[in-house]
Amino acid sequence: MATPFPSDVWIKALKDRLNNSAAYAEAAKNWEGDLYFQVDYADRAPALLYVDLWHGQCRDAYAVTGTETAQKVAFRLIATMENFIKVLKSELDPIQAMVTGKIRVQGNMVMMMKNIPAVLEFVRTARQIETEFLV
Amino acid sequence: MNGYQGRLLTVDLTTGRIETLPLDLALLRRYLGGSALSAALLYPRLTRGLDPLGPENPLLLLNGPLSGTAGPSVGRFTVCAKSPATGLWAESNCGGFFGPELRFAGYDGLLITGKAPSPVYLWIHHDHVEIRPAHHLWGQADTYLTQEKIRAEVGEKLARVLCIGMGGESLIPYSLLLCDHGRVAGRTGMGAVMGSKHLKAVAVRGAPGERKIPVAREAEFNRLRSAANLELRNSTTATVFREMGSANGSEYFDFMGEMPKRYFTSGVFAGAERVSGAVMTETILTGVSTCHACVIACGRKVTLPGEAEGKGPEYETIVGFGPQLLVDDLAAITRLGRLCDAYGLDTISMSNVIGLAYLLYSEGKVTAAKAGGPLEWGDPGGAERLIHLTLRREGLGEILAQGARALGRHCRAEEEAVQVNNLEVAYHDPRASSGMALVYATSPRGACHNQSDYFMVDLWKDTNYANGELQDPRAGAEKAANVALHQDWRTVHNALVQCFFASVPLATTLSLVNAATGFDYSLDELREVGERAWNLKRAINNRLGLTRANDTLPKALLTPYAEGGSAGLVPDFPAMLSAYYAARGWDEATGRPTRATLLRLGLGDVADDIWRMD
Repeated sequence: MATPFPSDVWIKALKDRLNNSAAYAEAAKNWEGDLYFQVDYADRAPALLYVDLWHGQCRDAYAVTGTETAQKVAFRLIATMENFIKVLKSELDPIQAMVTGKIRVQGNMVMMMKNIPAVLEFVRTARQIETEFLV
Repeated sequence: MNGYQGRLLTVDLTTGRIETLPLDLALLRRYLGGSALSAALLYPRLTRGLDPLGPENPLLLLNGPLSGTAGPSVGRFTVCAKSPATGLWAESNCGGFFGPELRFAGYDGLLITGKAPSPVYLWIHHDHVEIRPAHHLWGQADTYLTQEKIRAEVGEKLARVLCIGMGGESLIPYSLLLCDHGRVAGRTGMGAVMGSKHLKAVAVRGAPGERKIPVAREAEFNRLRSAANLELRNSTTATVFREMGSANGSEYFDFMGEMPKRYFTSGVFAGAERVSGAVMTETILTGVSTCHACVIACGRKVTLPGEAEGKGPEYETIVGFGPQLLVDDLAAITRLGRLCDAYGLDTISMSNVIGLAYLLYSEGKVTAAKAGGPLEWGDPGGAERLIHLTLRREGLGEILAQGARALGRHCRAEEEAVQVNNLEVAYHDPRASSGMALVYATSPRGACHNQSDYFMVDLWKDTNYANGELQDPRAGAEKAANVALHQDWRTVHNALVQCFFASVPLATTLSLVNAATGFDYSLDELREVGERAWNLKRAINNRLGLTRANDTLPKALLTPYAEGGSAGLVPDFPAMLSAYYAARGWDEATGRPTRATLLRLGLGDVADDIWRMD
């Protein structure tokens, strides 16, 4: 059964997959930092998904509800729902998405560039989730 | 003249004659400037019998129509001649502030011919041009001290000085020109050409109050360049170049198997992660530097323990003296890069030659006695020793000073030299980015990543200049037409002369060029300027003896790695080359552009020349 995106259940499914992936554990062994995925819509407030990533493991993951205040995070990845869909459907390369600004990155670019293999493995893992997109 | 000062300064060092040469508007429209216009201006002079180190070899320094404006990253200029390294077309471009200053002095470029009877430097102070003695600078000062001494002599703190080092004086065919804070025209041996003319340096300062380039539609141009710079400054690409310098992608290129190691024979080296641009930022970076009016600021200033702040290495220097030698010491790499700059040697070619020496030593083909000591992988000390030997042309240094191919030949191992047409290959591996196979093989100046940085398409996914299409980084013949298109656009950038690090949308570039020059090109007309120049450079090389047999890759690049991100892969080079010829409209038998291609590009006279040669 497909998991809806963006949602709490989807980000928790991603957490489980990351923590069961030897490839991600190896690629992200040096990664330290939590992040928000900010999904922008034309007609409503953005959706926020939080993940806390630490040395190849996902320590926490949840969808931010409307009543919560966003916390200070290491990274914020911002894109329209349309572009998130393209990345998750493998229609848009994640590197290309960042280079062209289709996904905007706020945070420490030094950390990001040192860990591009981790980013690629993260996306590869996310693409494995059978997803229903809540447009 | 909109976008131009409309004249070149010409200096004949044999006679001492100094003149100006007006530029023809129709020619400017066909070639814009930079290395494209240089090819058109130098075409009649670059003959097969011309000695690259003889007084007749013309050395042309040329700006583009945007140089000196505040357009996005357009402060570069080109240096062109016949190359003493390749015997073919030579071009190299350089950032800093020298090019714009030459424009502020009232000249789009400087054409130098002849040979001074003894060492001299040029002092261009607006309309006043003087040939001054340089005995006291010859063989003494490093390139940074040379700049300082000349500025003091001319009494202008803000004079911009472009100079050669002792490498150029020694006519080493991979010696460079350097200005400002270590900005260089590094490739194809332009330092040796300048040295052969006994010309140590060119110093220039425009007059105050005349520091503006005339443009056709000033308000439009200013609006466009402000928006373009804002967009560029906020882009991801500019951000990572600013934060980590040109080595920002080191970890990625390492991961993808695009960064060569152990002189192109290994796909893995654990120490690579200790010498990246990111590590530099986290450890020794103490500042950044920029070229004229550039919002990126990719230049690195680093401080090593107990030393004054100085230039930090770029990606090519890091890889050449780092992973290629299995060296993981960023401080040592920094010092080797600075030594090359001080001596005026191109770090790509020098490190490539040294890498080959290390490889041949590991194979028992170079001895410690010949090399002045052992050349053990991982030891930067051997590299430093070889740089000194090369500069002095002492022992093995006499061979090293002739380049990688000469070293290979000397050791009966020419096929191990990683070069194309005697220009040493840069450090973007076609086994991970197949587009680079065609780029290296067909570049008009020998193996070069600055005629097309196609790895930025294959791996960085920047499709701005390649038809918007993403192809598999390892794709074969189906990529050829896109590579040709990318080369055309990069030739436009080398005409402007715009830095490749400034990834500006093509529509923006077109608008800026049109607002500056009033040429009002269509997008395809602008691209065609690049295609025309690419084919003209090819025709120059055909006249100089280049054939299809020159479009090759060295054995190492066609040998798969056993490990790493590109293990087991090699480009399907023969099929790619044939497809490329078809895309270009070149003749398979001779390697020349067909008559039809040249006629389509308005090069009928060139077609007559090169098809008369049989």
